[in-house]
Amino acid sequence: MEQIDKIIFGDNQFFGINHMSQEKAQQLSEQFFDIRNIYKVYQMAFNAGINSIMLNSNDRAKEICEHFVSNKSRYPHINWYPSIPYPHKYANLVSEKGIIPAINEILFKDNSTMGVFSMITKGSAAFLGKDAIKMMQMLIDIEMKMFKGLDVKVIFLQNIITDLILGYDIPEIFEEYCLYIKKKYNALPGLISQNMPFLKSKLEQWNITEIVICSSYNKIGYLMSPNVEAYVQTANSNDPTKYQLMAMSTLASGAINPRDAYEFINNQKIQSVVFGASSKKHIEETVSLIKI
Amino acid sequence: MEKVKLGIIGFGRMGITHFSIINSHPDVLITSVADTSSLILSLLKKYKKRINFYADFRQLLANEDIDAILICTPPALNFEIIKLASEKGVHVFAEKPFTTNSILANELTKLFERKDLVNQVGYVNRFNDIFANVKECVDSGVIGKVIRFKSEMYSRTITKTEEGKTWRDSRGSGGGAIYEMASHAIDLVTFLVGKPDKVTGTSLTKIFSKNVEDAVCSTFLYKSGISGTINVNWSDESFRKPTNKIELFGTHGKILADQHSYKIYMKKALSEKNLREGWNTIYITDVFKPVPFYVRGNEFTSQLYHFIDCIKNKTTNKCTFRDGANTLEVIDELFFDYEQNGMF
Repeated sequence: MEQIDKIIFGDNQFFGINHMSQEKAQQLSEQFFDIRNIYKVYQMAFNAGINSIMLNSNDRAKEICEHFVSNKSRYPHINWYPSIPYPHKYANLVSEKGIIPAINEILFKDNSTMGVFSMITKGSAAFLGKDAIKMMQMLIDIEMKMFKGLDVKVIFLQNIITDLILGYDIPEIFEEYCLYIKKKYNALPGLISQNMPFLKSKLEQWNITEIVICSSYNKIGYLMSPNVEAYVQTANSNDPTKYQLMAMSTLASGAINPRDAYEFINNQKIQSVVFGASSKKHIEETVSLIKI
Repeated sequence: MEKVKLGIIGFGRMGITHFSIINSHPDVLITSVADTSSLILSLLKKYKKRINFYADFRQLLANEDIDAILICTPPALNFEIIKLASEKGVHVFAEKPFTTNSILANELTKLFERKDLVNQVGYVNRFNDIFANVKECVDSGVIGKVIRFKSEMYSRTITKTEEGKTWRDSRGSGGGAIYEMASHAIDLVTFLVGKPDKVTGTSLTKIFSKNVEDAVCSTFLYKSGISGTINVNWSDESFRKPTNKIELFGTHGKILADQHSYKIYMKKALSEKNLREGWNTIYITDVFKPVPFYVRGNEFTSQLYHFIDCIKNKTTNKCTFRDGANTLEVIDELFFDYEQNGMF
């Protein structure tokens, strides 16, 4: 399995996401309302030696992708780590319309150029209902459209989806997801999860390998089910040629100071860290602290 | 004890989430699912050969040998389902607001109490680690006697003009911002302060919905002198996620809380609780309790695992039908007050 980057620059700070404080999230969302401020921060990350970006396929990501596609010469070579889908889009649509009309809208509205046009005549989502795999592939294509023209290294499934399916204990969905990502996008399949030890044991049991698993990983065990000890144990016994482990939420939304956080992280058997920051000082400090 | 054999009735958003969470419980076996949508069932059928699927919940209850059910149908259907479940002697977890009025709710409460069956309503905030801590603070008198409160809930659930086609846009089905959202804000009040003696000054406002209210505000009065307001809006795009906020003013201090953190202002330091004079902030990262399996937030796992714990170990339930009936009594009064006094 191809090795992933050790340090990846995340995106939560740009989109008003902070698990600890809604006030802080609101401030950030104001700061990055002007998209040029996002590019400025990316430039700071490149200057600090980072050349990989994790980006969720939300409404604003499309514009960011377009910017990087059309200004390729201005930037160093960048490895992209998309995460799909943007779950709130689906959640809101489902509340407004109900599940089936929501799937219909996502799959068929404004997607006639996606090669799904012929499906409309076949009765849309009601027809697809018999074929969860086909539906999943179409949803992946829709979410991945915006990343066209960028060098995509890993495609991550968001934790809300990974963990939901994990609870159902259906190996076929994971098998098909991984196969499709490898075949169609020539990228590594990635799974974000808040249940890393359980997910990894299931993948092993199902014999699904060559996966990147991204999960919260911090010394206080925040968003780490069932607990820190299980994570450490799982990482210690991991074979990185089968599963590469990526840590997120290393600071637990700011509850741990960076020095303590990375002292812990640097002792873990993980392959990569994704972090977000919005100032030059914090970016440089984090890069200097990560020694995995 | 053997595994708890479980059925799920209603396979919309909550049913789909609850399946995933409860299926991870080592002591639970999901045996059956009922939903009227053939699409959802046909998706699942293909991969879950050992589960029995039904288009009609009556058949599920008639045919299945089950210990417990999770009910995630639109609230107007719940009365019949829950009543049938009680006749069968089945423990019930019902999504909030549990039924559509307090008369039905009280009848069900009595049935389940008489039969000593576990009964729980899905007011998930009671299982949120922040609100659980706030409850502890209030009960132990950290802010003294509560005098005033403000309970708010905001979300971006309905942000476009509704065509009035889903159950959410019909009060008869249990749709609308009162049943769906305000019920959470009211439950937090009954949980933390108790049930009000009078409801007044209620306004219901349509923003995008055709048939139901999108925003609610009202004032709650208590014979003891406590008073407070609720303010709810499910058409507020400025909130990325559904958010509950509660403010409690007491004789010794004040609490401001949401799902992620709470701030306490103390008139005097309270060293045994590690609170200094003035402002103190406590984040979710300071107080969270890890859960065995995470899908949508610790509280969603905690509430369902608690339901199973109550069945297996006879633990006292933290959010019973009686609690749900209390909230529905307040909801009845909200509608009544608005119809009597709020309309021009």
